[in-house]
Amino acid sequence: MTGWHAPDDLVTRYADDALPEPDAWSLEKHLEECGSCATRVSRAVRETAAGAVLVDVRTAVLAAAPVPAPARRVSNARLWSPRVFLPSSRPRLARVLWAAGPAVRGAWPAAVLLVALGAVALAHAGGFDGTRPLLLAVAPVVPVAGVALSYGAHADPLHEIVTATPSGGLRLVLTRTAAVLAVSLPLLTLAGLLLPASGAPGAAAWLLPGLALTSASLALGSYVGCRTATAVIAGGWLCAVPARALAAHGGHPTARLAEQLSRCLDGAPAQGAWAAAATLCVALLVARRATFDHGEQR
Amino acid sequence: MGGHREKDTDAALLRAVADGDSTAMAALYDRHAGWLHMRLARRCGDAEAVREVLQDTFVTVWRSAAAHRGEEVGGWLWTIAARRLVDARRAQERTARIETSPMDAIRVEHESSVAAPSTEERVLARLEFGDVGTALDRISPELRDVLRATVVDGLTTRETARLLGIPEGTVKSRAMRARAELRSALAHLSPTPLGGPA
Repeated sequence: MTGWHAPDDLVTRYADDALPEPDAWSLEKHLEECGSCATRVSRAVRETAAGAVLVDVRTAVLAAAPVPAPARRVSNARLWSPRVFLPSSRPRLARVLWAAGPAVRGAWPAAVLLVALGAVALAHAGGFDGTRPLLLAVAPVVPVAGVALSYGAHADPLHEIVTATPSGGLRLVLTRTAAVLAVSLPLLTLAGLLLPASGAPGAAAWLLPGLALTSASLALGSYVGCRTATAVIAGGWLCAVPARALAAHGGHPTARLAEQLSRCLDGAPAQGAWAAAATLCVALLVARRATFDHGEQR
Repeated sequence: MGGHREKDTDAALLRAVADGDSTAMAALYDRHAGWLHMRLARRCGDAEAVREVLQDTFVTVWRSAAAHRGEEVGGWLWTIAARRLVDARRAQERTARIETSPMDAIRVEHESSVAAPSTEERVLARLEFGDVGTALDRISPELRDVLRATVVDGLTTRETARLLGIPEGTVKSRAMRARAELRSALAHLSPTPLGGPA
């Protein structure tokens, strides 16, 4: 900065392209660091024939303004649930639910609600006292079904693309499973508490088996895919507990169910075994986490 | 247009442009687009190419404003514009090479890149301006173009070669010759160290 500024005559002649090279050069160098001379020269050039071009380019440049930054914030949620674009104007809670996976926003939560409300209604309005064993028999399968609807090629149309994103793979599976558990665990346990005991184990007794079955589904899912795994696990539970109880002879069906459930769920040894099974499945899942990065085999 | 923005410094405008502020971009454009257009037009005879380079330059500013680090904004803008001009030249040369023979392409391009002042102006300049100006006017237009690209516009040898459509080796040899001729022309103009008339 020298305090020198281009005389008006120099500015006009430069704008009219009538300045010899050496003087043009020195003026150009000056314009690189003098805003006020730059403004004067630019104004002078605007008044020449180049003015029309400058106006055109100005319009084009302003039209090329980048999209405002807030639009970018949605993209993380969109990675999780690529099916529907959600404008950022929706409430935050809705976006979180949307991002939590296909199961939580589909028919599954309605089914969970129906199971819980149906059990309560059956017990209190219908006077049927065997609802808690029934609920306990069905409850461990509910989160497994939620997992089946959350992940995999059949549940998510953009499954392969989602898998290729940094937040895909095991992280995505666990996020969606957590969402499923967050909905089903409190709802079903609460419903169980509202039911008469009628010889069945406590309302919270299904929690560890539920967790064990869910983690078993995920671990098995790393071998055979989520849908098959959940079908095998849920089917296995239904065959092992309620079906066997109903097929057995002697006594009232609900009493037999309650008895069978007590054998499976009650007491420290049974709960300890479920906890051990859950831990084992989680360990297996962690060991096989890489398989979720490649999408699932069909 | 630009309203209150007109008083803002270039750096403040660039910060606002980085946040996507259109009025800041309008003010920045009004301040610099005119002289950039003139400077580009003096280096490229193709009006359409100049227009495209100018537009590219400011569209790049939208993206790169956040990367600006304290240097003079005018010089920073010119650096972007000069690089864009070199790129445009390279693309143009590629098309020209397909349409015409290489020698023709170079000649055509070279003719268009020289902004030739009229004889009258040359004479006027020689009368009016100092020794360096006169000396620069004495060296050939080819050498002057190389000097302008390397010294004034701050391009590298490779970029100069692309801009002028000549091999890199030629740029180097011309730059050396330009310096030598300038030195001898200055010596010829003022043979004594005191600068008395010859």
